[in-house]
Amino acid sequence: MRHVLPLSFLVVALAVLSLHLGLRPTGPATVWQALWGEGQDAAELIVRGLRVPRMALALGVGAALGVAGLLTQAALRNPVAEPGLIGVNAGAGFAVVLALSVWQVGNLGLLTLCAAFGALTATALLFGIAGGGRSSAGPLRLLLSGVTVAALLSAGTQVAIILDEKAMEDLLFWLSGGFADRPIAALDPALPVMIGAAGIAWFHASVLDVLAADDETAQALGLPVVTARIAILGLAALLAGTAVAVAGPVAFIGLGAPHLARAMRVTGHARLLPLAALWGAALALTADILARYLIWPGEAPLSAVTALAGVPLLLALLHRRAPA
Amino acid sequence: MNVTAARLGLLGMLLSALLLTGIGTGSSFLGPDRVIAALWGTGERMDMVIVWTLRLPRVALAALAGAALALSGALLQRATRNPLAAPSVLGITDGAAVGVLLFLTISSDAANHLTVPVAWQPAFAGLGATGFALLVLLLGGRHRADPLRLLLYGVALAALAKALVVLLLIVGPVYRASQALIWLAGSVQAAQGRDVVLLGSVLGLSLPVLILLARPLDQLRLDPDSAFATGLPVAAVRGAALALAVALAAGAVSVAGGIGFVGLLAPHAARLLFGSRAAPQLIGAALLGAAMTTGADLLVRLAFQPLEVPVGAVTAALGAPFFLWLLNRRGDPHA
Repeated sequence: MRHVLPLSFLVVALAVLSLHLGLRPTGPATVWQALWGEGQDAAELIVRGLRVPRMALALGVGAALGVAGLLTQAALRNPVAEPGLIGVNAGAGFAVVLALSVWQVGNLGLLTLCAAFGALTATALLFGIAGGGRSSAGPLRLLLSGVTVAALLSAGTQVAIILDEKAMEDLLFWLSGGFADRPIAALDPALPVMIGAAGIAWFHASVLDVLAADDETAQALGLPVVTARIAILGLAALLAGTAVAVAGPVAFIGLGAPHLARAMRVTGHARLLPLAALWGAALALTADILARYLIWPGEAPLSAVTALAGVPLLLALLHRRAPA
Repeated sequence: MNVTAARLGLLGMLLSALLLTGIGTGSSFLGPDRVIAALWGTGERMDMVIVWTLRLPRVALAALAGAALALSGALLQRATRNPLAAPSVLGITDGAAVGVLLFLTISSDAANHLTVPVAWQPAFAGLGATGFALLVLLLGGRHRADPLRLLLYGVALAALAKALVVLLLIVGPVYRASQALIWLAGSVQAAQGRDVVLLGSVLGLSLPVLILLARPLDQLRLDPDSAFATGLPVAAVRGAALALAVALAAGAVSVAGGIGFVGLLAPHAARLLFGSRAAPQLIGAALLGAAMTTGADLLVRLAFQPLEVPVGAVTAALGAPFFLWLLNRRGDPHA
């Protein structure tokens, strides 16, 4: 609790800030009126129609990605793992593009289901190829395999996009990843899944603790290591997949949030998990605010912002960790 | 040696057949006899127009890009002593793309017209490629014993380069983002004679260096200590090979975009077919790379016409599983 409260304040402050800032900054009075009033003033419409949805999406998706990153890193015992890097996002993206262009799925709930299924399939594929069940599969090897699976799936996505020229614009926009101009209704089917998956993971936090140690300890404690690892990765894939369905593929939030949470010197995944969720939300909100200013007056793609911040972190992690 | 020569000859014939088929295939099919006649300048006028202005630039560009990328990959694998190295894996391809977009952004006027000759484009591609290659090698060079780490640095810097590309796409004059995306994915559909000449001269200029490097590269295959003991300037050879690899990749990317995995696949296939000696392996890799991109381009045109699926998508679909196999097979990764 010691860390959760101040971190929550940070997230709330960032959320409030994100309502005020943009191409046309608005004062607190206007924001207040926009939130509780019925005014049709342009500034109020911007706040109510554009900034509130962005904020809500950033909160939900950021938290989900933060938890997904924490679960992935614990299950793979790999501090450099992240749903975006190991191809889970690409799997969800490919599934959604297929669903939109080939099967013409219009239902948001069904689309979320497709994304989650795609993410799960990509995880299973990676597991099968790189033998993630064996702990002997080196963490770097697994990561590289994931990157390659992502490249393969992106090639599929490219072909699917080009085959369907009508939907190309929409698909490219969705694939660029971000919180601006996206239907907030997409959160309705996604939120229950996210909360459910995060909740299950939280109730089994002790499993995460044991899994993050080493295989011998885990086995000695009577934990079915492979089953547990698959289950945790499945939960991570559900979280990442639904996040992709809502906001498109957003990388590096799942890498940064768990590290920030661990940097608070907290032990035990029961405490780490809420912190990772809060940090994820904070990072997503920060990135979303930065995206409005990076190439002013244009709007930068969120994935570019997260990559610019995330790559140095990835390089630092690679630099520091002992060889595979 | 005779076996190797025979195999190289066979491969050359296969490539010629692919090239002829590639030139002959399109909305109106031309048989090999008519293609050859048109190439000699003795064909019918209509055939000449089709072959020289429509088909040849595209097919030639595909072949040259494949050869350049394959040579680049073979040189990288030898110089870094890393069997998984390739221009696309080490972030060099994406670095070149950053250079090209930077060039387009800073040298366009308000009406999106270039203010300097387009011939400068490959120079900027080379600059971007060199910058990212140096970063990857400097960061990964500390971990000589750990070949996978070098690749992960490449992956990380490629992600950075992709983010820069996206930002440049938005602020830059390349307003038709979908077209730029097709180019980035590796495509030869919009090939022009100018591109062919450009890439051809890059390859031509690199040829003498390659011939000079062939013997030292064979010595470099020994471990560094013994290579040094034979009086080989190890650092100089390695540096020259890396520089040449970067130049070849930059040339290919600046005109044909990021055609991935050819630079990884072709050198390995060449090693299997022609052994590990530098000269036959490099020639074989160039021929195989050319055959791969020409074949992939032919496949794209036959299977998806009139849609323009990027060649890079096909080579990625073929190359990614191979890379996974290479990465995860049991035993020595240094084979």
